[in-house]
Amino acid sequence: MDTGGDTSEEATGSSTMSAAQRRAEMRRRKLLLNSEDRLNRIVGFAKNGSDNNGTKAQPNRCRAQRVDIIMSRRASRRPAEPRFHLDLDRTEPWSPSSSSQRPSPFLPESSALSSLSHTATPERRGSPLPDCSEPPPAVEDDVGALRQRLKGERAPSDNISGSPRRGLQNYLSRFDDAMKLRGQLASEKPTQDGGVETEEFDPFRVFRLVGSILLAVFVRMFVCKYLSIFAPFLTLELAYMGLSKYFPKVEKKTKTTVLTAALLLSGIPAEVINRSMDTYRRMGDVFSDLCLYFFTFVLCHELLLLCGSETP
Amino acid sequence: MAAGYAWFLVLGSVFLCNLMKTFLSTLSSLLSKMIQKDAEQESEMRTEIQGMKMEQSSISMMDEFAKYARLERKINKTTDKLKTHVKSRTAQQAKVKWVVNIVFYIAQAALMVSLIWKYYSDPVTVVPSRWIAPVERLVAFPTGVPGGVGITCWLVVCNKVVTLGFNVFNQRSQL
Repeated sequence: MDTGGDTSEEATGSSTMSAAQRRAEMRRRKLLLNSEDRLNRIVGFAKNGSDNNGTKAQPNRCRAQRVDIIMSRRASRRPAEPRFHLDLDRTEPWSPSSSSQRPSPFLPESSALSSLSHTATPERRGSPLPDCSEPPPAVEDDVGALRQRLKGERAPSDNISGSPRRGLQNYLSRFDDAMKLRGQLASEKPTQDGGVETEEFDPFRVFRLVGSILLAVFVRMFVCKYLSIFAPFLTLELAYMGLSKYFPKVEKKTKTTVLTAALLLSGIPAEVINRSMDTYRRMGDVFSDLCLYFFTFVLCHELLLLCGSETP
Repeated sequence: MAAGYAWFLVLGSVFLCNLMKTFLSTLSSLLSKMIQKDAEQESEMRTEIQGMKMEQSSISMMDEFAKYARLERKINKTTDKLKTHVKSRTAQQAKVKWVVNIVFYIAQAALMVSLIWKYYSDPVTVVPSRWIAPVERLVAFPTGVPGGVGITCWLVVCNKVVTLGFNVFNQRSQL
């Protein structure tokens, strides 16, 4: 008896399950068929107002159906998917039905997409719902279709709704960069505070300095009577430019300073900053050579005057 | 015209300033040690904590829990006291360092201004003007003497050379 009763219960249970599944399947197909219209509604292409009047009496039912569909879809397809309301940091693909990958959060399309998914999320309490004239929208499918659509073209209203979201994304990305730079600055500060900040003298730098000193002495001894002292110096610098490739290149570590961090955050590309810093470093090297050259020249001149061996 | 050893005076001043700069941190730590009166208290606390920890390690927690806990509380209390002491000492050191730096930079600025004031119209040295063509006006600034080396140009040159020399010396001493 009991076994018979159990069997009948199991049969009704299975038939109930299959009926529910069948209903869900029918709903899904219906939604897929009407996805284009729903998309237009989400995007903001207005439909005629007469459609709204008939169904205004059943907002709660629409809402319940929408939630039901969303929950069933989530349970069936993506149980671990994060919620819609802030998808700026999503890392996994949204659309299960299509094989489209999630675009980069920093691309303009993704910002438009995320803004639209944000505005279209009905599961947030208090969010303005789209009209209930049609069956409750499957937001996830719509977003998936929306992605594909917006990859190719963009509706005019997207630009308006997408720009605040894009601005927010830009702000967040800049904020992340600022935090990273702050960490780098903090890590570099103890090394600077620990000891005296000294320049590194690679072999080419030492060669340059010694060459400048020797040239200054030579110029003071033999050349200065005939021409300006800066002419040999310029020749020497040109020679250094040619000789630099014969020396081993020492990779100079780019230090993160407050200036470079500020320039990076202001939007200047890192490559431009690095090139500018490199140019500035080269100019600094030339200036150091010039100062040493002139100093040695004047020193030699004074020593010679002191010795009284030569009159200018 | 130019004083005979003006160039040497300026060079010496710049050298002295850079030398003082390298010893600033040592000077500030010395001063803070002199000012700080309760430096021994810190070392006493450290010794006390060490002794208590050794005593605690010899006590079995299972057998003499009350004694162990009492000692633990004492250690914690002394450690907190030591931390407060270290914090105040560090703050005082930072303050002294800041004051020393400010005084040094004011003194350096005063020295430079006085040198410029003294040699405003006199070049530190004179060479034939054709030697330093075509930048003789720039080199002679602000004296205006043809062939002269002005104080500003010489200060910049000396500063750069002395800095280079100290960097080489520091690098060698680090190696």
